[in-house]
Amino acid sequence: MYKRSLARLGVLGLVGVLALTACSSKKKTGSGLTGGSSGSAASGATIKIGFEGPLSGDNAQLGINEVNAVQLAVDQANANNTYGFKVALVKSDDVGDPAKAPTAATALQQDPAILGVIGPSFSGATKAVGASYDAAGLVLISPSATNPTLTTLGFKSFHRVVPPDSLEGKEAGDYLAKKAKKVFVVDDLSDYGKGAADAVEAELKAKGVASERQGVDAKTTDYSVIAHQVQASGDDALFYGGYDTQAAQFAKALKAAGFTGLTMTGNGGKSSKFTEGAADAGDNWLFSCGCLDATVAPQAKDFSAAYNAAFKTDPSTYSPEAYDATNAMLTAIKAAGASPTRAKVFAAVNALDFKGITTEIKFEPSGEVSAQVINLYQQKAGKIGLLGDINTQS
Amino acid sequence: MHYIHQIPAYVLLGLTRGSMYALIALGYTLVYGVLQLLNFAHSEVFMSGAFGSYIVVHAVVGDGKGTPSWAVPLVIVIGLLSGAVTGASVAWTLERVAYRTLRRRGAPKLAFLISAIGASFFLSQLAGKLFNRFRGNGFPKYFDQNRQVLRISTARVQVFEVVIILTAVIMMIFLDRLVAQTKLGRSIRAVAEDAPTAALMGIDIDRTISRTFVIGGALAGAAGFLFGTAFSFSNTVGFDQGTKAFAAAVLGGIGNIRGAMMGGLLLGLVEALVPPIPHIGIQWTDVVAFVVLVMVLIFRPTGLLGERLGRAA
Repeated sequence: MYKRSLARLGVLGLVGVLALTACSSKKKTGSGLTGGSSGSAASGATIKIGFEGPLSGDNAQLGINEVNAVQLAVDQANANNTYGFKVALVKSDDVGDPAKAPTAATALQQDPAILGVIGPSFSGATKAVGASYDAAGLVLISPSATNPTLTTLGFKSFHRVVPPDSLEGKEAGDYLAKKAKKVFVVDDLSDYGKGAADAVEAELKAKGVASERQGVDAKTTDYSVIAHQVQASGDDALFYGGYDTQAAQFAKALKAAGFTGLTMTGNGGKSSKFTEGAADAGDNWLFSCGCLDATVAPQAKDFSAAYNAAFKTDPSTYSPEAYDATNAMLTAIKAAGASPTRAKVFAAVNALDFKGITTEIKFEPSGEVSAQVINLYQQKAGKIGLLGDINTQS
Repeated sequence: MHYIHQIPAYVLLGLTRGSMYALIALGYTLVYGVLQLLNFAHSEVFMSGAFGSYIVVHAVVGDGKGTPSWAVPLVIVIGLLSGAVTGASVAWTLERVAYRTLRRRGAPKLAFLISAIGASFFLSQLAGKLFNRFRGNGFPKYFDQNRQVLRISTARVQVFEVVIILTAVIMMIFLDRLVAQTKLGRSIRAVAEDAPTAALMGIDIDRTISRTFVIGGALAGAAGFLFGTAFSFSNTVGFDQGTKAFAAAVLGGIGNIRGAMMGGLLLGLVEALVPPIPHIGIQWTDVVAFVVLVMVLIFRPTGLLGERLGRAA
């Protein structure tokens, strides 16, 4: 009898803990959907903008880098009354997952007060929801969805402030062609990773540099077999198309396998998670990225300081781009006149010419930004630093 | 270089991978033997072992810098033990909370399965909430685990690979002897063979089941330490490894202890040897593994060594 009641107590306890976690997670999504610290506009009209990106899950770091910068831009706009109206931010978490993006997008599309959306952060998610934003007439400015096909799928709503992976891949391929005789190209089988790897491989081929190709599922933890294959191939360089956490695990396995060639990945791999996961195995890795390092660029100094003051951490990959995208969106809303509608904002974004901290934001009809620079970064002694424009690196 | 030349290297990687599969697979097979229950939460026992041993190892060596080399074997033993203890306690609690209560009420088999899946989600999310959801957690670097100790053709045998394979072999021999020769082993076999009769013969079934979970949990927890040190660990690491280890248990004949060891090693070898063959490709790793499983099951529906814990061990 005693034993039995003990077991019952255990079950009760388990149910209790489950209920608690359920409650707290509900609370979290609740505030995520209605959220925005600046929702309390005292006077004047309040304009809502949305953010769609991963705020939880494996890829949350990138989304957090961005949403913090968006929040900062919104808070600054409200504090200084830069645009003559109050702004409220609505965050919608899509986990960076194409399967979850439609729900996250619908939440934003169905709020008629939202006039523009920053995001989606990820290419796969964008593919899944581009058409529904078109249908809702809601304009998008993405700070980081870099898959090249996104601007060829006919999504009118989609704009991005970063160059596509095709350009990044081309210039990364050029760089590798200068450095290596034979390149091993690996991707993570995701939309982004495959796109980046394809672009690099195509450029290597165009330059007459030999390459071979493998894919490794992003869920893999044990990279020892592929790492050995890279080492055994005798190739003198490796390009990995994929995201930071996986690139870090791959870096560790490559070090264990004794690969000493040049190692490089694209914008998806460049983040503090890579450094954290790979530690010293990540040293000497190169990163091509159409993004700006806010901690070193002089024009981003004020932004970097404000970001650090607000979030107690340095801005990271795609924070400056998200900050620019937000200010560009708000500029467009202001340009849309006294009573902006989704349609007016849509037109204003297309006609936009905004000088941001990363680049001049002016969209081509396809939704690509006109000014496109690819930078080269490298991890040295556990820190990723800027080397400069990839075209000028030798 | 040619694939053929690399075979020794891939065999080594396969043995390392397979040893860890085997250690986890034993837990599935032991529990299936005594309860005819697929303990899907076992993958999370493995995951808990990684986190538990990380906490202890981190407390002992800090960030790992300046750990004297004579202390390294000691730290590894501490890691293994703490992983095993964590795994054993999680498995014990799991049996108490998620299974015994159902058994007492004579719940149908399906209820156990749902309870197992629920417990699996619960443990994985709990770890994510308690620690973090980063997929690339690593152990402190308290020694150069990639130092080469031996070279056989293209296979460069590294320190930690030796540790993994040796540990797995020792634990498997220990378990085999335990089940074959001790009183506990006899009761495990008796419960597996015919539980009601075993009860009539004076065997405490509940205690035997509980201890079976503890043994399986200890093996998986130790594997968690080995896996986390060799690669990385996260709150979701259990799912993939667990699925593979379960496949390994089925491959060898579920309920069969030697079968689970063999299944694990075989699966590891297949995964390391087949995908690098030219024109196959690493992205087909999982496909290759499950094709082998299906092929084996077509010709031997009860697995390589056949089912039943009682008879085979």
